[in-house]
Amino acid sequence: MPIQESISSALDSIRANKLRSILTTLAIIIGTAAVIAMVAMGSSAQKALDESISDLGARTINVYPTSSRQGATNTSNIPLDIKDALALLKDKEIPWQIAPEIRGSRQIKFGSENSNLQIVGSNPEFFSIRGYEIDQGILFNEKDSLSRKRVAVLGSKVANELKTSSKALLNNDVFISNVAFKVIGIIKEEGSGWGPNPDEQIYVPLYTASDRIFGTETIGSINVNFPVEYRTEEVMIAIERVLRREHDIGPGEENNFRINDWGQALDLQKQATSIFFALIIGIASISLMVGGIGVMNIMLVSVTERTREIGLRKALGATKNIILLQFIIEAIILCLIGGFIGVILGSIIYFLVALWQDWPMVFPLVAIIGSVSFSALVGLFFGIWPARRAASLEPAVALRYE
Amino acid sequence: MIHVSNLKKAYILGTQTLEVLKGINFSIEKGEYVAIMGPSGSGKSTLMNIIGCLDSPTYGSYKLNNVEVSDMSDDKLSNVRNREIGFVFQSFNLLPRNTALENVMLPLQYAGINKEQRREKAKKALIQVNLGDRMDHKPSEMSGGQQQRVAIARALVTNPSIVFADEPTGNLDTQTGEEILKIFRDLHNNGQTIILITHELEVANEANRVIFIKDGLIEYDKIN
Repeated sequence: MPIQESISSALDSIRANKLRSILTTLAIIIGTAAVIAMVAMGSSAQKALDESISDLGARTINVYPTSSRQGATNTSNIPLDIKDALALLKDKEIPWQIAPEIRGSRQIKFGSENSNLQIVGSNPEFFSIRGYEIDQGILFNEKDSLSRKRVAVLGSKVANELKTSSKALLNNDVFISNVAFKVIGIIKEEGSGWGPNPDEQIYVPLYTASDRIFGTETIGSINVNFPVEYRTEEVMIAIERVLRREHDIGPGEENNFRINDWGQALDLQKQATSIFFALIIGIASISLMVGGIGVMNIMLVSVTERTREIGLRKALGATKNIILLQFIIEAIILCLIGGFIGVILGSIIYFLVALWQDWPMVFPLVAIIGSVSFSALVGLFFGIWPARRAASLEPAVALRYE
Repeated sequence: MIHVSNLKKAYILGTQTLEVLKGINFSIEKGEYVAIMGPSGSGKSTLMNIIGCLDSPTYGSYKLNNVEVSDMSDDKLSNVRNREIGFVFQSFNLLPRNTALENVMLPLQYAGINKEQRREKAKKALIQVNLGDRMDHKPSEMSGGQQQRVAIARALVTNPSIVFADEPTGNLDTQTGEEILKIFRDLHNNGQTIILITHELEVANEANRVIFIKDGLIEYDKIN
């Protein structure tokens, strides 16, 4: 008997029990959907991460204050402040660019609309280090900072947050914690990556931020950008030398600041994401296995239910192999249907999450092929036993089965 | 055509051996219309299963068209059933989701005949049992008598050597039963070999010869 006839008769029997078939494949659907969604999200997140890192360039190092939990020997948590950045700036060993960063969330008002957004205070170098480009208007300069000028550069989506247009904001005043700031520029859309979304931030000159908004010289981090010809390690050593001197750290004492190189952070992040996704895929595989057992269970029920039909088919001349094939194909088709529904469901979930998270889209072809063929394999594996049971039924006995 | 000698069948139930057939001998020639009769528990169903190639004997010989079938493998028996035997059952045994035509096509599918030919042959068989206008009906849309006629068409479609009918009127009212028996009579008149299994004397008397089984042995074998 040709295989396409086995397939069409398997489809007939699945169609005859639509609801039961769908319920049977539920675990397969969930498993496949999870695999597809997770793998796609994983590669999407990875891509977003890679993009944001490459924006920064591998040539950027960040310095952060140490969190106090590390201070077994030094109990006071020494923060970074603007003086540290100035000390780095004065050091001429490496021709680096320094951009201190002072940030915090503040209420922004424009007209009757208001929103809570991240304020970033830094110097003009910040934009070139981060690779942010001006879209409309101008960036602030060193003079604006020294004179504590109330000017602001906005991320491309700030206008959305304030329910207005960039055009309406440009050259007008927004209120940051009830202080008026003139919007002088708007940067191009950067897209979110890892960390806060640069498009939803407001950038102001460093001293303006420290004096007029935050009232502190404590900074969150220092961006250090260095020329290609220097190695990351030697730049890190230079930073350490300057800051240890600045913080008066004696020989043998631990640093009270943390130097982060993006490459390292990237590796760490990659590792964390891959562990997370491996875990999810593991769970999804278990779900597929459980799904397979469900399919086997239903196939066994189906064999029992159709004992007379099997007896009849045998009486009419079906061989063991024909019956075996019919039931195996039915199990495989059940699992494949589950797999396909799972792929569609998983893709929808992924699409929605990627849209919401503003991730770059990827097409998880390998995951789709992989999970669909895996579900077919599950069907084959868990279909064999019920199919063998059907095939080995004695026709005389099966025909009399009530 | 059928030659059975010293046929025995025993079932092992726990420690006991239950001998259902205790040595059956008979021959049936081509074109005969034979009824196998007996009360329930007599062994007539077991006998029917063996000569219908649905089961194998424990002992003895069964030759069908001069071929020994008692020691054939499962797959060979499937082929013999497909080519040589047409079954008609008491409860019709039609596939409920398929149309009359599809039901009749089924044995031809196992014979490896292509779809167009299957359709042609199945149509002819249905017309032969006067169901030419019911081909696309499902079993649930037909009366019992019509369903049994579909089953007869299915038995005939492979052009078998023997038609086996196991209590074919058991689920039908008297009048419909008579109609079905008339079809068998007509088939017999056209030279078809028929074996009818029944426990009713009136039905058995339709046949030209009655083999009466009791307690695993032939009690009588007579021409009507």
